[in-house]
Amino acid sequence: MNNNKYKVLVVEDEDNINNLVSTLLEANGYQVISAKSCASGQMLYFSHKPDLIILDLGLPDTDGTSLLKEVRKNSLTPIIVLSARTDETDKVGALDIGANDYVTKPFGSAELMARVRSALRVSRHSSGNFSDEKFESDGFIIDYDARRVFIDHSEIKLTQTEYNIIAFLSRHSGKVLTYSAIIKEIWGYSDLGSIKKLQVNMANIRKKFGAKPGKKNYIVNELGVGYRMCERNDQV
Amino acid sequence: MKNISDIIKNTIITASILIICFILCFIIQNTIETDSLIPAIFILGAFLTSLITAGYIYGIISAIVSVLAVDFAFEFPYFKLNFTITENFVSAIIMIIIAFITCTLTTKLKKQEAFKAEGEKEKMRADLLRAVSHDLRTPLTTIYGASSAILEHKDEFSEAQKIKMLQGIKEDAAWLTRMVENLLSITRLDGDNVKILKTSTVLDEFIDSVLIKFNKRYPNQDVIVDLPDEFITIPMDAMLIEQVVINMLENAVCHAKGMTRLYLNVFTLSNKVIFEIKDNGCGIDKERLKNIFKGYYNSDNTSSDCKRSNAGIGLSVCSAIIKAHGGDIKAENQKDGGAVFHFTLDMEEQIDE
Repeated sequence: MNNNKYKVLVVEDEDNINNLVSTLLEANGYQVISAKSCASGQMLYFSHKPDLIILDLGLPDTDGTSLLKEVRKNSLTPIIVLSARTDETDKVGALDIGANDYVTKPFGSAELMARVRSALRVSRHSSGNFSDEKFESDGFIIDYDARRVFIDHSEIKLTQTEYNIIAFLSRHSGKVLTYSAIIKEIWGYSDLGSIKKLQVNMANIRKKFGAKPGKKNYIVNELGVGYRMCERNDQV
Repeated sequence: MKNISDIIKNTIITASILIICFILCFIIQNTIETDSLIPAIFILGAFLTSLITAGYIYGIISAIVSVLAVDFAFEFPYFKLNFTITENFVSAIIMIIIAFITCTLTTKLKKQEAFKAEGEKEKMRADLLRAVSHDLRTPLTTIYGASSAILEHKDEFSEAQKIKMLQGIKEDAAWLTRMVENLLSITRLDGDNVKILKTSTVLDEFIDSVLIKFNKRYPNQDVIVDLPDEFITIPMDAMLIEQVVINMLENAVCHAKGMTRLYLNVFTLSNKVIFEIKDNGCGIDKERLKNIFKGYYNSDNTSSDCKRSNAGIGLSVCSAIIKAHGGDIKAENQKDGGAVFHFTLDMEEQIDE
């Protein structure tokens, strides 16, 4: 085995899906360990220390969220949740206890691989030096020191709050940030009107960015869940 | 729990009707001074009770109490029970018989109505099931056939042939996914007490999300979008309403022959948000337009872009979803050709900050 390969743990009880995900990952140059239950997933996690976990929520022994909680106790290993549930509350729940991202079944291979790449990049960002001076993605530049934002070389004038939101999203680009996570970071407290306040700010940001509905934008709306800063080439 | 509250409700109805009758009779006796009206009033009371309450019990009880009341209070000798007078005895029997017959009739009627409603529902379900299982077979045939062919004879096919078959598998699987989404929504909305969880959704985020999903399925179909400038939020189950808009857009792609432009317009009218999905295609057949949101028919004039019709369930799902949101849905033909679909939702009240 090549030691440079990223190690990915796949926890999924359905044989066909497990095979599919494992094969996809191997074909894309990842090393794969696979488990079919929460218990064996946990064992493999502690013995192999993978770089990324792809976790199904509906497992036969216990709900996948218990593994999620167990891993989050002492590690930041990125976790992508696979879920057949399309309910927002489930997604928000998984994200709030520490999942980095979720993919809803059925998913396309391109979609899954894009999420894997971006989850691994997030973990590189946060484990490496955090004093990046700039965020850059396809004509979109944030200068963290000067607190200035540019799109295609022209500056976008943002308010204090708008800048803070954008900076926070960019530091976690690729990761879905739930409304409550953003609100906690920006305002520190939350009340009934918080989500509305955030949504209004996001609407203003979209206007200033010249975002067109349905076109590829820098920020993806996850309805009822939150927002995700997107690195353009990762959009599917 | 429901039973107990039903019993309480019925008892209260029975008691109130009896009390009203009693008071009425008392007034009549003291003003007009006639006895002949009294049995008639109590019979009316027993009749009403049997009509309103469920089952025999309340009607019969009401009749017996009425008989006793009439005998005791309003017939000679007053304030004494006396069945020895033949007249009183006969009128008591007549009253019980009338109450009994009314109860039997109304109960039968209620049962029949319930049967009829149940039967219609059953029929709809059966129709849906038949249409769906028929429609499910086709894509499954492609998926099963193509994949087993590739597995068993992988060397005999050219690369291009294999790609074509795999594309068929992918398309049909995507179609099945949408079908299952629609079916899930139907079952979710089919129950007696449907509860949809509405969360306030920002209009332009919603439209953005819809268009991204639609573009993924139909990358070559342009949608011309016109949205209001204001910041609008709408309380809705975003997942379901997304399905409505996508079904309608998809419907245009599949059925509007000769369409060159597809519009998605949203505008506001007082506190309503109106969504309009419009095309310049061939329009909708008049016969079909009548019950376009009702039937699960098999469609025959589908274009080659989408091979199947979704068993016509797509639009009935739309209607069920919009109704569950308390909105209106409408389909028409435009004067200058093409079909237009409208649906309305309530806007969230603006809170000034």
